[in-house]
Amino acid sequence: MKQLIFRRLLQLVCVVWGVGTLTFVLMRALPGDMAYRIAASRYGQDNVDSQAAALVRNELQLDLPPWLAYWHWLMDLLQFKLGHSLVSGEPVIDSVQHMLGHSLLLAVAGLCLSALIAVPLGLFSAWRGNPLDSVLMGLSSMVRAMPVFVLGVLLLLVFALHWNWFPVAGFGTAMHLVLPALTLAISFAAISNRVVRDSAKQVFGSSFYTFSQVKGLSKWRTFQRHGIRNIALPVVAFLGIQLVSMIEGIVMIESLFSWPGIGHGLAHAIFARDIPVIQGAALAMGALFVLLNTLVDIVCHWIDPRGGMPV
Amino acid sequence: MRSLFRFIRQMGFGFLASFLVVYGSMSWAASSKENTLSISSAFEFTSLDPSKNGYIYTRMQLLETLLDVNSKGQLVPALASKWKVSEDAKSWRFTLRDKVHFHDGSLMDANAVVKSLTIAKQKHGALRKAPIESIQAIDSKTVEVRLTKPYLLLGAILAHYSNAILAPASYGKKGDVLALSGTGPYQLSLYAPPHKLVVEKNSAYWGKKASIPYVSYLTGHRAESRVMQARSGQADIVFGLAPAALPLLKKLPSLTLYSNSIPRTIALKVNSGHPFLNDVRARQALSLAINRTGIAKSILRIPDSEAEQLLPPSMTDWYLPTISKEPMPLESAQALLASLGWKKNADGVLERDGKTFDLTLITYADRPELTTVATALQAQWNAIGVRTKVNVTNSSAIPMGHQDGSLEVALMARNYGFIANPLGVILSDFGANGGDWGAMNWHNKTMSTLLGSLEHTTDPKKYHQLAQQAAQLIYQQRPMIPVSYYVQQTAVNNRVKGFHFDPFERSFFLNDLEFKSP
Amino acid sequence: MTFSMKSSQKCGLIILLGLLAFAVLGSWLSPYTISQQDLNAILEPPNAQHWLGTDHFGRSMFTRMAYAVGLSFALGLVCVMTSALLGTFLGVWAAWSGKQVDGVLGVFVNILLALPGLVIVLLLAAIAPGSFLMLYLAISLVQWVEYFRVVRAVTQAVVQSPARQSSQMMGFGRWYQFKRHIWPAIAPSVFTLAAFGGANAILTMASLGFIYVGIQPPLAELGLMTVELFPYYSEAPWLLVQPLVVIALIVFGFHLLAGKRI
Repeated sequence: MKQLIFRRLLQLVCVVWGVGTLTFVLMRALPGDMAYRIAASRYGQDNVDSQAAALVRNELQLDLPPWLAYWHWLMDLLQFKLGHSLVSGEPVIDSVQHMLGHSLLLAVAGLCLSALIAVPLGLFSAWRGNPLDSVLMGLSSMVRAMPVFVLGVLLLLVFALHWNWFPVAGFGTAMHLVLPALTLAISFAAISNRVVRDSAKQVFGSSFYTFSQVKGLSKWRTFQRHGIRNIALPVVAFLGIQLVSMIEGIVMIESLFSWPGIGHGLAHAIFARDIPVIQGAALAMGALFVLLNTLVDIVCHWIDPRGGMPV
Repeated sequence: MRSLFRFIRQMGFGFLASFLVVYGSMSWAASSKENTLSISSAFEFTSLDPSKNGYIYTRMQLLETLLDVNSKGQLVPALASKWKVSEDAKSWRFTLRDKVHFHDGSLMDANAVVKSLTIAKQKHGALRKAPIESIQAIDSKTVEVRLTKPYLLLGAILAHYSNAILAPASYGKKGDVLALSGTGPYQLSLYAPPHKLVVEKNSAYWGKKASIPYVSYLTGHRAESRVMQARSGQADIVFGLAPAALPLLKKLPSLTLYSNSIPRTIALKVNSGHPFLNDVRARQALSLAINRTGIAKSILRIPDSEAEQLLPPSMTDWYLPTISKEPMPLESAQALLASLGWKKNADGVLERDGKTFDLTLITYADRPELTTVATALQAQWNAIGVRTKVNVTNSSAIPMGHQDGSLEVALMARNYGFIANPLGVILSDFGANGGDWGAMNWHNKTMSTLLGSLEHTTDPKKYHQLAQQAAQLIYQQRPMIPVSYYVQQTAVNNRVKGFHFDPFERSFFLNDLEFKSP
Repeated sequence: MTFSMKSSQKCGLIILLGLLAFAVLGSWLSPYTISQQDLNAILEPPNAQHWLGTDHFGRSMFTRMAYAVGLSFALGLVCVMTSALLGTFLGVWAAWSGKQVDGVLGVFVNILLALPGLVIVLLLAAIAPGSFLMLYLAISLVQWVEYFRVVRAVTQAVVQSPARQSSQMMGFGRWYQFKRHIWPAIAPSVFTLAAFGGANAILTMASLGFIYVGIQPPLAELGLMTVELFPYYSEAPWLLVQPLVVIALIVFGFHLLAGKRI
């Protein structure tokens, strides 16, 4: 356990440094004068001119040589300072908190919902001789062939426009969460119900499973004793890989539903050349990636302790 | 090490706290669908500073300026009940309105106004460029602005959002804005940048008090989701509707659509120093090749919004009432280009001395119609043999391209009412060296003299005459090529009464709105 | 080496070939160009002149769809090739060349994995605005990691196998060992990943258009067409449906072709 945590901490440091450096290098490689971009985001498109850009350049010391700017950034990072947004002047940590908080809320809600959809459907499909299996699989193929935003728009048209049950856009109440979370959940469930189904099929078909029924356990007891853990293992491992890409993938959903999440914030920060915010957000996501992977490893170990502790 | 703990604590508990704040505040703010007017618009806000996002705060009626602008573009009293310009036109005296209090309870007096204006002068904005010698409090009710030379625009500039008056306690040590304590009929209730803002009625307002208790503002990034908010009735007022949605929304009985002309023009900025474009005939040909009627009708979906000249009819001083349309525009365009030595080659592209007529047109995506208009222009210029590459980038690429000389043609939406007096924008766009958002490499002595005399002409008749001459010059020389006038499309739910639109986009007039009793 | 195909894979291939034929024939037969506008005939339903109707500029949808399908295929191919080559090469290298190479590549991959793919794509897209090739290269840069992980895992097992070791002892060169032992082991996985990669590239591209990245008129691209036609969803639904159906068909075809699930 100790070794695992130590290793992962090392990985975390590597990732944080690497992500920060990579974004730094890429940002510096962008063409055009950063000061103009920042000025456009600060003052609005009606009010951006060369004077505003000069003001910005002066205030933010943008003409520092790149290596010096990099050095400043690295020193700040070592002191756990993420700096201030170039556009709003707010501390980066505040805006990252605000954005990541909303994204996590959406992701967790989406994940729970998708588990509620995918697990029963997957198990149901895996049930031997189920005629609906191919129908369900076809349906999930259809959902997967749609870009996420199309799914979101369809849900909007039905639930927000036709029935007016849920708000179209915004945040702040539980009602606002429903449609974005549902969009995420459905698109995610379309992938994960397959994993559940395949994993369950394998377990249901295995010799140990048949044996335990032969030795006289009821169907439910067999499922409880031998089914759940064995089915869960590949599913959890799969979730671990998909989780971060899911947080990232919600940028479309965030854009569609005006949800103030990190994907959307990142895209905006890139347009605005707001380097500290990009770095802060990327760092937070990198750290989250390591954290989640560690968590998934531990959970896998807990489900199936046979393999020993992962490192 | 301590900072590490603080970091972790902030990250961890911060998430929790931010949920509690965002989600908790909705319950105790006591705003509900019944007592809240909800507004949806495309603009984000990131900062409390009026020099940056003041246009949101004046529209939401949190902040007010010394002077206001009426729908005709004339200055009217606001926080200053009257003002007087000295004989030599170098000193302006403003008498402040009595018994006006900021939202934090403090009195709006001369010192507060001086502080706000002094801070605004240091930041980016029109006041910075004004020839100001000093801003002083004469007594508790009088503020005097002394100028180094006569400057007629001062009144209009003081009416600009960046010069809104805030309570002295709103500012931090370095002039940064920490709180938004203004004087408007509404005060801040919830601030969740960059998407959401809720304001609450200020019952101590000095003027017409608001009737609707709460107003919420939500940034709707996507034009399509704003349309859906209007359709479903979830937003009461939706600004900036996409032209494509208009036919659909017109059919809904629950909505009233407002189409209002605003002094904003979709226009092309042309690099008049470019070897292909330095002759006025080339610019005229490009202008003639534009099918403005088609763009207005089929792309913008607003028939009759085509613009032959830069400033809209509402700006009577600057609008030329008699302009004749070319009967055969395409043929004339081709003739003009031929007279410049351009000949079509085998690909149908114009060629001269071995060079093909290739242009790069830049525009920006913030206003979706610009991209579609650019696409139409591309095809229309292609038809006369001008091959155009459209590059959709950021709005800042236009001033940048102006400064480094790389810009060839740019499509933009220029707001000529940005400062209430259009002369403000004209001066910066067509001054001696052109402007970031105006003429480029276009040097015209007559124009400089005209603008110079306009700056201190007070006689309205003379002013009109000079402005007409300047407008005529811009029309003939085409340093900018107008395409279409901007028409702001707004959907208002029928539960709202009293909506009217501010062509200068300074205010949403929230305090004039009421809910219809069911 | 030959793949024996399941019937579902054949079905996928037929769908993709059909779309390809539409793209080639369409671009060849159409009398219109993708940028030719007619502002007097916008949003027309399918008719004798314009088989798939006209868009909001009065451009022929048939021509544009054919062009867009061709573009998606061509650039999807670029993307799959780049990421598969890069991922396979580095994966084999990492597994075959000892701990140091493996370690360095491992750190690099971990950083790339932790950095949201979208950030990389957006940043690269910003370096060369409006360049579609850049976008696809960026997408490949995000996708190669997947090949790397799979190839590395499989290769590690093969490298340790007695068959490969005896090959090496018999003095066969690296290229022969790769062809004889490693490629047959990794080929099915690479093929499956490539099929999914093709589908993902097209979906990602469509999604990027949705957040206004890479709009450069008058190019016809499926994702951009979706976004462009979206505002007309109630006025001219038949137009919006076209790119969506085609995207779905391509993705579905690739998924079928992949054969394996996930």
